[in-house]
Amino acid sequence: MSMKQLLFRNLKQNIQHYYLYVFALMFASALYFAFVTLQYDPSLDAIKGGVKGAAAVRTGAVLLIVIVAVFLLYANALFIQRRGHEIALLQLIGMTKRNIFFMLAAENVILYYGTLIIGILVGFAASKLLMMILFKIIDIPLAASLSFSGRALVQTLIVFSVIDVLMMGMNHLFLKKQTILSLFRTTSTTEAKHVSVWNMVVGMVGIILIGSGYGISTKLFSSDWKSVQGLFMAMAFILGAVIIGTYLFFKGTISFLFHLWRKQKDGYLSINDVLSVSSLMFRMKSNALLLTIITTVSAIAIGLISLSYISYYSAERSAQNYVAADFAFTDKKDAARFTAALRSHDIRYRETIIDVIEAPTDISMILDIADQSRLQFQPSAAPLSVISDTSTGRIDVKPNEALLTGYEDLLRQFLPFKETGTIRLEENGRMVPLHYLGMKKDYYVNYHFTYGMPTVIVDQTMFDRLQKETDPQKKKVHIGIHLTDETNIERADQLFQRMEFSSIADSRLMMSRHQKQTFGLIMFVVTFLGLAFLVTSGCILYFKQMGAGEEERPNYTILRKLGFTEKDLLGGIRRKQLFYFGIPLLLGLSHSYFAVRSGWFFFGTELWTPMLTVMAIYTACYSLFGVLSVRYDKQLIRKAL
Amino acid sequence: MVILEATNIHKTYGTKKNLQEVLKGIDLRVEKGEFLAIMGPSGSGKTTLLNVLSSIDRVSEGAIFIEGNNVVAMKDRELAEFRKRHVGFIFQEYHLLDTLTVKENVLLPLSITKTPKREAEKKFAELAAELGIIDIQNHYPSEISGGQKQRAAAARAFIHEPSIIFADEPTGALDSKSASDLLHKLQQLNKKRKTTIIMVTHDPVAASFSGRVVFIKDGQLYTQLYKGTETRQQFFQAIMQTQGVLGGVRP
Repeated sequence: MSMKQLLFRNLKQNIQHYYLYVFALMFASALYFAFVTLQYDPSLDAIKGGVKGAAAVRTGAVLLIVIVAVFLLYANALFIQRRGHEIALLQLIGMTKRNIFFMLAAENVILYYGTLIIGILVGFAASKLLMMILFKIIDIPLAASLSFSGRALVQTLIVFSVIDVLMMGMNHLFLKKQTILSLFRTTSTTEAKHVSVWNMVVGMVGIILIGSGYGISTKLFSSDWKSVQGLFMAMAFILGAVIIGTYLFFKGTISFLFHLWRKQKDGYLSINDVLSVSSLMFRMKSNALLLTIITTVSAIAIGLISLSYISYYSAERSAQNYVAADFAFTDKKDAARFTAALRSHDIRYRETIIDVIEAPTDISMILDIADQSRLQFQPSAAPLSVISDTSTGRIDVKPNEALLTGYEDLLRQFLPFKETGTIRLEENGRMVPLHYLGMKKDYYVNYHFTYGMPTVIVDQTMFDRLQKETDPQKKKVHIGIHLTDETNIERADQLFQRMEFSSIADSRLMMSRHQKQTFGLIMFVVTFLGLAFLVTSGCILYFKQMGAGEEERPNYTILRKLGFTEKDLLGGIRRKQLFYFGIPLLLGLSHSYFAVRSGWFFFGTELWTPMLTVMAIYTACYSLFGVLSVRYDKQLIRKAL
Repeated sequence: MVILEATNIHKTYGTKKNLQEVLKGIDLRVEKGEFLAIMGPSGSGKTTLLNVLSSIDRVSEGAIFIEGNNVVAMKDRELAEFRKRHVGFIFQEYHLLDTLTVKENVLLPLSITKTPKREAEKKFAELAAELGIIDIQNHYPSEISGGQKQRAAAARAFIHEPSIIFADEPTGALDSKSASDLLHKLQQLNKKRKTTIIMVTHDPVAASFSGRVVFIKDGQLYTQLYKGTETRQQFFQAIMQTQGVLGGVRP
């Protein structure tokens, strides 16, 4: 067989075996090329808003290439180790290391660049799709038009070539270091050893570390930490404790728990136990570092995607909270001009006018904080917005009562309120006690009246008295315009945007779009990065499982000879993969849950729906790799006898 | 009583263009409780014969009955079922699962048949004492010697009280002391439990522990020797002579 034939035969076999690698490389290069194309596309900068489109995408591209590089190098190391036997054999029949290196390099170049070029073509096709998705997410009614970017092509080729050179350098080093004998021994074996007391200690420490990290994270943003420095210390501790804890968990806890399980079985294991528990117990331990990285990376990916989705998901809600009507004005003349314009375009609406006064309010008795001396404001005379019950149109409050409403979630985390109690309002220079009825969720006036603090609703008589004595400067008015038919919102918004107003005026639609643009772009970049994380870590676990499957193949043979059917074995295999993929996933999900829970309120108003959505999608995509692994093992089992 | 009866066994491998007939019509009858050795030069087809007899591999032609069951006609599922109840195996490479302790390995066949745990314990204690593996029952295979591994493997073959045990070069990887230890134990168990043993070996010493030696050459039955009332030493001499003729090399 000539060198060429050998090369192509190897290539064919590698593609069959490592189709997932080819897929991952293609996916990575396509994604990268699409990102770079977007980055060079001028239309992206047309996106107005806080974040510059191209900058966000560029940051994404850099992060992406780091992930991809690490993945490719790791996968390369796995593959060359697995081919140790073959390399040794070639040396044995007289090929020099140089020959082998060039053979490997040639193989690599064909496979790598072939895939890369396909990836780039896919990426080009996909970049238009990505652009459309992006525009859809950030709610810009633009048609995506993209041209093939030469600069993007060159940049992609250069970056991937650098990675390829690194890979070849790695192969070169590998060949240089190994002798024929050591190559014949490269197939790693998982040595079964006894679980020691030390193991138990390590396992316990792991659980304690993770637990304490979680524990602190739940209290992270409550007022327990006296300074910003303390807060950072706490964050660093959580990060360190959880990551080290995860490592120890894989290193000790898993094998210890499985050991207890086996001990209780006293030597009498079912086929499922044999294939799952007994093999994983050792395998997870020896792969502890890898599993820790994968768990942490998954946790970060899920956490970031969740947070960005929370922001995006909440954009509409927070716009609703910020702007208490479709359009809101603080000046009657502005409002009148706008409504005139609406009428002239036959857009029907309903107007609500709410008088607002700002009054010092004593909320110290209903604040759920023991030590109020450290607060930045005086809780006994907090300047809150006060409105009357009749102006809300639906609430009735008795003269000696008060209701609070419209409290921002973020502030609520720091300044929790009690359910009942007494508040006091200043009237005529003295504080009048009112029975506090509780906190409602509705927003009646705009954000710039309240700055997130709740609005006080009092009885009309009380409100009239207050208003009489209030300095005219502090009397304000909120004029809300509600469209009768919401389908007119686009037209009305266009009218609104064309007009100039003398005082603060808000459009809810504009606010919501603005929020969506900012968070949508971030979500877009983060999601695709997360996807790259997912694909690469899933692939690595799959490759690892392929190797493990090969190692365990003799076991399958034994078990089948003993009379276990394919079905029996498959049951055990399913459970093994469930554990192998499921444990890092569960741990990652749990990490990200605690991370998201500790600070989600900075990002939006809704926790569960967006977080669970992200987690469900991530789990589904990730499970795919588990299913592929089971499929691979299924073939192994079939061939085992 | 005949426990295994094989008639006109053929086994061919390869594609249509390049057929290779490994077994060319072998007939074999094994009585219950027999200790039978199969010998033959490399490539004579002895391992293939063992594989088809033990239902791991299928015949191309011929019939095999074990305890009256027509093995050839069975489907894969039935074969697996049959193996787990009636057959035990011992291999040259021990084939213990690395991730299981000795005891767990030995109890494996019982877990397939869902034997109650108490009964399993009893069987294990008895057999472990006979094979001398009590002290190492909680060790992993990587922690014990080859001889110990093979005794553990033997325990696994006997634990579910199969009617027939197939052993493929059980002493092939052992030093002579461990080998004769193991063969003595096999002989004892064969006598005590009346378990039929069919063993493939190329080692005349190992074969001399059996009661009958069947010689195979080029896929056909060549001859057979009965031990009868001879001593093991005499039987060994007879085996050596036959082997010499068979291999074309005089001792």
